[in-house]
Amino acid sequence: MPGGYTGTSRTRFMTPTQYDNDYVLCECDLEPLVSLVSELEKTHGVSIVKKPTVCSTMIRTEDSLEKQEFFLGEALITECEVAVDNTAGYGLCLGEEPQRSYSIAVIDALLHREATPREVLRFLDRQRDVIDERERREFNLILRTQVDIKLMEEE
Amino acid sequence: MGYVAVKGGQDAIANANELVEYYRLKGRTEPVRLDQVKTQFRLAIDRAMGEGSLYAPEHAALALIQVEGDSFEAAFHLRAYRTTLERRYYSEVMNTREMIVERRISSTFREIPGGQILGPTRDYSMRLLEPALLQQSLGSIDTFLEKVQGYLEPEKLHGITTFGKVIDLFQAEGIITRETQEGDNRRVVDVTREAIKFPAPRSAVLQMLARAETGGLMCMGYSTMRGFAVGHGTIGELRVGRVPLRVVDARGRRRYLGRIKVTECEMVGGAAKRRAAKRGEKNGRSSSKERPTLSVGYGLCFGQNETKAICMGMVDTALRSPDPLSPASSQEFVLHHTECVEGYGFTNHLKLPHYVTFQSELDNIRRVVKAGEQKPQAVTG
Repeated sequence: MPGGYTGTSRTRFMTPTQYDNDYVLCECDLEPLVSLVSELEKTHGVSIVKKPTVCSTMIRTEDSLEKQEFFLGEALITECEVAVDNTAGYGLCLGEEPQRSYSIAVIDALLHREATPREVLRFLDRQRDVIDERERREFNLILRTQVDIKLMEEE
Repeated sequence: MGYVAVKGGQDAIANANELVEYYRLKGRTEPVRLDQVKTQFRLAIDRAMGEGSLYAPEHAALALIQVEGDSFEAAFHLRAYRTTLERRYYSEVMNTREMIVERRISSTFREIPGGQILGPTRDYSMRLLEPALLQQSLGSIDTFLEKVQGYLEPEKLHGITTFGKVIDLFQAEGIITRETQEGDNRRVVDVTREAIKFPAPRSAVLQMLARAETGGLMCMGYSTMRGFAVGHGTIGELRVGRVPLRVVDARGRRRYLGRIKVTECEMVGGAAKRRAAKRGEKNGRSSSKERPTLSVGYGLCFGQNETKAICMGMVDTALRSPDPLSPASSQEFVLHHTECVEGYGFTNHLKLPHYVTFQSELDNIRRVVKAGEQKPQAVTG
């Protein structure tokens, strides 16, 4: 790779938080997520409080120098609310994704019980690795286009 | 001049709507699938989302299929769809420093921290048509994808990183100036909820530029380079990548929603130096004692749309340097005339019946002509 790689390493999450779990649930492939939730439905009482609904979020941002906040535009999102064994769960994700938002809501509820089912924790760990690998591969393809620009007079 | 409503033609309108669909399909080719458009027309989708001011790749793809690729109509459809959505959240302030970069270049420095990354771009191609694409099949696509993936050596993969920004170098050296002055209006205006008034606060300006029509914005940006404004800026940094989006949920918890792709550009120029000098003169100080600095114009838009982000940066700079000879320095001129749905809508309203207003104009002309004919001829010579 020309010029060498000099980026700053991102810290790998050490203790998964709500936020980290959301990252996995929003970024993982839909099929294994839906499959896991189908299994969980067999052993837990899931009721839909608010069915998956599309809505929007306004995106707040700011310019990089003056820190002037402004609205970039809106993003379409899907939200869902469920109760799993009487524990509330909220699912939110980008796009029109009824299955994903429902699945996130179910897992969100299970993550907030005292004992989260092991299969959920295993799923999160496994999918975190899958996403990490996929993202690293993509990032390394991008790094192949890193360029070392030389002035002609240096030739 | 008032307008007079017309009615009629319901059947013809219904038939016209059907006929345009007939024209879209009469070639009897396989229907274009949403996933094909979403994955193979990503730049058209990015543009539609930016101008439609709604980040929704699937819906943008649907709009493009429905309107046969017309970028104005696609943006119009997305804006119309957006108004049907309940806005239930306002995100946390998105931090572009968290961007997972796909492309970053700088025209100001050869060497930037982390290096220049060309990323997915056609900037350095010959722009020759590629007839081989006509022979592509799923098999040949798989072969290509395997070839590219095969370049990677699994044991030598680097970890994912974020990168420092080029403007940090300028800031460390103290040669760029924050142009916001005490007393400037920093209120965060939402132009979708509040009619724009001039002078508009910078928040409204940036929001309108972010959803402006790409071609219109390029026209304004290009004019600044051709001498109709402060001058030729330089790209401090142009980056494309994905940035996390977060909201706070009903329980008050910070939730990750996913990442959106954006293009960000900081245009660096010498305008701040001139403006600082002007301020110095105004305050009775010698302009020569003002520390020379660079200005930064900011561009940010949905998707990979580099032309738009660059032009937004140039126009942001121009708009902060009022100049009566420069159209790109006039807020009203720029913001109204790059607003794609308003401009497109107003232009296309000309196709609607104007019979009464035109008849009135025609009557006036006929009356003046008749009056002129009845006047006695002046004696000349």
